[in-house]
Amino acid sequence: MMIRKIIDRPPRAVWAASLLAAVFFTLQALWIPAKAALGQVLVERAWHQVLAGRTDARPWPWADTSPVGILEIPRLGVRQFVLSGTSGRNLAWGPVAASAGGPIGLDDTVLSGHRDTHFAGLNALRAGDRILLTTPDRRLSFEISQMEIVDSTRQDLLLEPGVPRLTLVTCYPFNALRATSPLRYVVTALPSAADLPRPSAAARQTAVL
Amino acid sequence: MALTLNDNPTDSRQIRSRLDRALRRQDPDLADRLASRNQKIIIRETRSLRWQDRYLLIVASILLALFLLRTGSASADEAYGLEMASEHGDSLALALNTDVEIEITGLVSRVWVTQVFKNDSLHWMEGTYRFPLPHDAAVDRMQIVVGDRVLEGEIQEKAEAKRVYQQARQNGQTASLVEQQRPNQFQTRLANIGPGEEILVSISFLQPVQIRDGVFSLRLPMTFTPRWGDRADPPQQAAARVVFTGNAAEQQHGLTLNAHLKSDLEMSFVESRYHGVNVHPLANGYHIALDGPWPVTDRDFELIWSPERQTDPAPAVLSWDDGDAAYALLMLVPPAAESVQLIAREVIFVIDSSGSMAGSSLEQASAALIQALDNLQPADYFNIIDFDDDAISLFPESAPASGDALRQARKFIGNLDSDGGTNMLPALQMSLQSDPVDADLRQVIFITDGAVGNEDQLFRQIETWLNDSRLFTVGIGSAPNSYFMRKAAEIGRGTFTHIGHLGEVEVEMAALWDRIQRPALSDICVDWGQPAETYPQVIPDLYAGEPLWLTARFDSLPSAVTICGQYDGRYWQQTYDVQPRLQSENIATLWARSKIAALQDNLLFGQPPEEIKAAVIGLALKHRLLTQYTSMVAVDKTPVRFQHETLDSQTIGSLLPAGSGPAVAFAATAAGWQWQLLLSLAGLLAAGWLYRRSARCRLSYS
Repeated sequence: MMIRKIIDRPPRAVWAASLLAAVFFTLQALWIPAKAALGQVLVERAWHQVLAGRTDARPWPWADTSPVGILEIPRLGVRQFVLSGTSGRNLAWGPVAASAGGPIGLDDTVLSGHRDTHFAGLNALRAGDRILLTTPDRRLSFEISQMEIVDSTRQDLLLEPGVPRLTLVTCYPFNALRATSPLRYVVTALPSAADLPRPSAAARQTAVL
Repeated sequence: MALTLNDNPTDSRQIRSRLDRALRRQDPDLADRLASRNQKIIIRETRSLRWQDRYLLIVASILLALFLLRTGSASADEAYGLEMASEHGDSLALALNTDVEIEITGLVSRVWVTQVFKNDSLHWMEGTYRFPLPHDAAVDRMQIVVGDRVLEGEIQEKAEAKRVYQQARQNGQTASLVEQQRPNQFQTRLANIGPGEEILVSISFLQPVQIRDGVFSLRLPMTFTPRWGDRADPPQQAAARVVFTGNAAEQQHGLTLNAHLKSDLEMSFVESRYHGVNVHPLANGYHIALDGPWPVTDRDFELIWSPERQTDPAPAVLSWDDGDAAYALLMLVPPAAESVQLIAREVIFVIDSSGSMAGSSLEQASAALIQALDNLQPADYFNIIDFDDDAISLFPESAPASGDALRQARKFIGNLDSDGGTNMLPALQMSLQSDPVDADLRQVIFITDGAVGNEDQLFRQIETWLNDSRLFTVGIGSAPNSYFMRKAAEIGRGTFTHIGHLGEVEVEMAALWDRIQRPALSDICVDWGQPAETYPQVIPDLYAGEPLWLTARFDSLPSAVTICGQYDGRYWQQTYDVQPRLQSENIATLWARSKIAALQDNLLFGQPPEEIKAAVIGLALKHRLLTQYTSMVAVDKTPVRFQHETLDSQTIGSLLPAGSGPAVAFAATAAGWQWQLLLSLAGLLAAGWLYRRSARCRLSYS
C-alpha cells in the first residue's frame, strides 16, 4: 500500500534522494575509467624520476607503487606505464608487474591488468603479435606464443626463475558485466630472438666493460 | 500531411475543420475521403506513447541488450578431489590414479577407493578431501599416506575425536578429522601437506545392495573429477603451459576397478550396466574387473546380478570368525514366482481418519485403499476398518471380494471424514482378533500417519494379538511416525511402506501388493544348533521376488543351519552346511549395525538413554562403526613441522627447492565499472520518472 502511494504521488524528498544517490553512483562508476586514464598521466612524471635513477619514485606522495616500465603493443597502439606491486589499489591506476625475483622483463614476468580498463584490448591479440617492454635499462621485445583461459580458483601461476618470459593476465570473459568470474585470460609471450639482448649476453658485456 | 504533425490537439482540430470546410466547398467527395482518413490518423495520434513510456522502453531494451551481450561465465560444480589451501590461495588437485576394490557379501558390499594426489605447489598446505558417496553409505575406514607418513582412521567417541584432532594440529602433527558427513559426500580435512608431497587417500564404506524384482544391483557414483565449466569459445589451445599447477584438463586419469561377489549361489547373470567388464567364476563367487583402463568419467558404475531361481527356497550363508565370536549372515532366496501358488487371503484394511489425517493425507490414504481394492482376487476376503476415537468396520466380518462388496467398500471410502483423535487399540484389536474366515492367511494393512503417543503399549498388544496374522503398515504424509510404523511391521512380521505424496500411491501400493500376495515361506524357524543372538529378532515371511536376511552372532561358528517353515501349504525343512571359504568381515559389521538399530529402538521401550549410548559406543568401537556417538579420526605420531612455523609458507621459504620460483595467485583483474554504471544510470532514470510523476500530481492538484 505504502509503496503504491509513493509511486503514484512521489513526495519531493523521495525523488530528490534517489536522484542524488543515482548521480553519486554514476560518478563513482565513471571515476574508475577516469582513474585509469589519470593514473597514466600522473605516472609519467614519476617515470622520468625513475629514469633519472630514483627507482622508488612515487607518482603521488601517498602512493604505494612506482612505475617499473612501459608496455607497448604496437599493433593495437597500446602504450601504458606498468606499476609495481600486485594489489587491487595499484591495478586501478595501471597494469602491475610481478617477477620470479629478477629484473622485470629479464626474468619470468607477469603483468596483470583490468580487462575493462587497461587490458581491454587483450582479446584482440593474436599469436605472433609483438609486445615491447621498456625498463629503465633496456627495451625488450617479445612475441606472443599462446593464449589460454584458466580457472583462478584451481590454479596458480608458477614463475620459473631465470626464464625470460612475459605473461599478460586479465579477467575473462571480456564483455561480462559483473566482475565475479574466476576465469583468467593468460597470454604468454617469449623473447623474440631478433633484437633481444640475452640476459647472459648482457651480463657478459657488462663484465667485459 | 501537415495536419497530423501539429502537437497541440486543439490547434490541429481547428485548422483541420477550417481546411475541411474549404475543401468541402470545392470537392465534397474528396473531403469525405480525407475525413475518413484523418479519423484514422487521429486515432493513431491519441495512441502515441507518452515520454515516460518511451524512456522505460529504452531502458528496458538497453538492459535486455546488455544481458544478451553477457557471455556465459563458466562456473564449476563443487569439486571432488583434494582441495588444498594456504595463504597463497587455493588449488584443486585431481587424482592421478583411482583404484576401486569392492567386496560384495549378500546384502552389503564393502568398497575401498584409493586415490593418489600430489601437492604441486611450493607451500605447506591444508587440504580438504571430498568424495561423492552413495546416499546410504558412510565412510568407516580410512588410510591416508602423506609423503612417508601413514595415518589410519580410528573410530572414537565424538568429543574425543575432535579433541585428538585439535591437539595434533597444535602439536604440529599431521592429523585428519572426519567431522561431519553430508549426505552423498565424504569430506575430511588434512593438515600439514608438505610441498611436492604425494598424498594417497584410501577410504572405505559399506554400501547396501539394492534388490528389485529379484535383481541385485550395486551402484557407485564415479564422478570423481570436477566438471570443468563450458569454456565459451576457448582461444587457440597451443601446447599446454606446464607450469600451471594442477592443470587436469590435459591429463588422463585412469580408473581401475575390481569386484569380488562372494556367494555360492549359481547366478543367472552378472553384468555391468555402463562399463565393459570381465567376469570370472571363482570357487567362492565371481571376480569382476573392468575390461581395460577406463577413463574416470561422469558415468556411474553399476553392477547387476541375479541368482538362478530354484523351485524351493534356497539358503546361503556367509560368515566371519574373529576369534572372540563368530558371525553369520543367512540369506533365503525365494523360488521363482511361477512356482509359488497364489493363496486365498483375508485382507483387512485399517484406515486412520483422525484429525491429523485431514486434507491430503486422507486423500492419499483413500487413493491407496482404492488401489488395493482393485488388486484383490475373487478368492480373497476383505474388510475395512475406519478408526478415529473409536473403530467402525464396513462388514461385521470379512466378506468375499465380490462386485457388490467392492461397490459398498468404495462408497464407504468416499464417505471417510477426518475428525477426532487417534485411538489405535480398538482398531488393532478388531482387525487382529476378529473371527477367522475361510482363508489361508490374514493380512492386516494399516494405513496411518502414526501420530500416536502410546507406541510401547501398542507394540505389546500387537505382539499379544498377532497369532498367525501379518501386519503391514503404510505410512502416509511427508513425515509420518516412521519409527512406530517400521517397528510395528517388524513385530507384526510384515513390512513398512512409506507414501510421501499422492503421486507415489500407485507405484508404492503396487510394489507392496506384488510383495505380499505371494508368500513363499511363512512361520520360518532357524536353528543354528547353538545359542545365537539374531537380528531381526522376529523373523518375517519370505515373499516371492524378495530375499530374506538374518544376521546372527555365536560363541563359535556353527557347522550347519536348519531352516524350516510353511511352504506351499506344507511343512518344509532344509539343512545347509556353513562353508568356511565364504568368509568376510562385512558379516560382523552387518550384525553390529543390526544390533545398534535394535538398541536404538529400545529407547521407546523405556530403556535409559545412557545405557543405550554406552552399549552403542561399545559396539561401535569394537566393530569400528560410525554412529551418532562416534566419529573417525586419524593421527600419526611424528611431528612434521616445528611448532613456531605456521601453515603459511613464508616462514619456510628456505625449504623451497633450489631453482624453483614462487607461484603467484591471480589478481582480481576486473574493475566491473560498466555494471556499476549501468545500475546507476537505471537509478537516474528511475529518479527522473519519479520527478515527472510528482510534478504531474502537483499540477493536477493545483
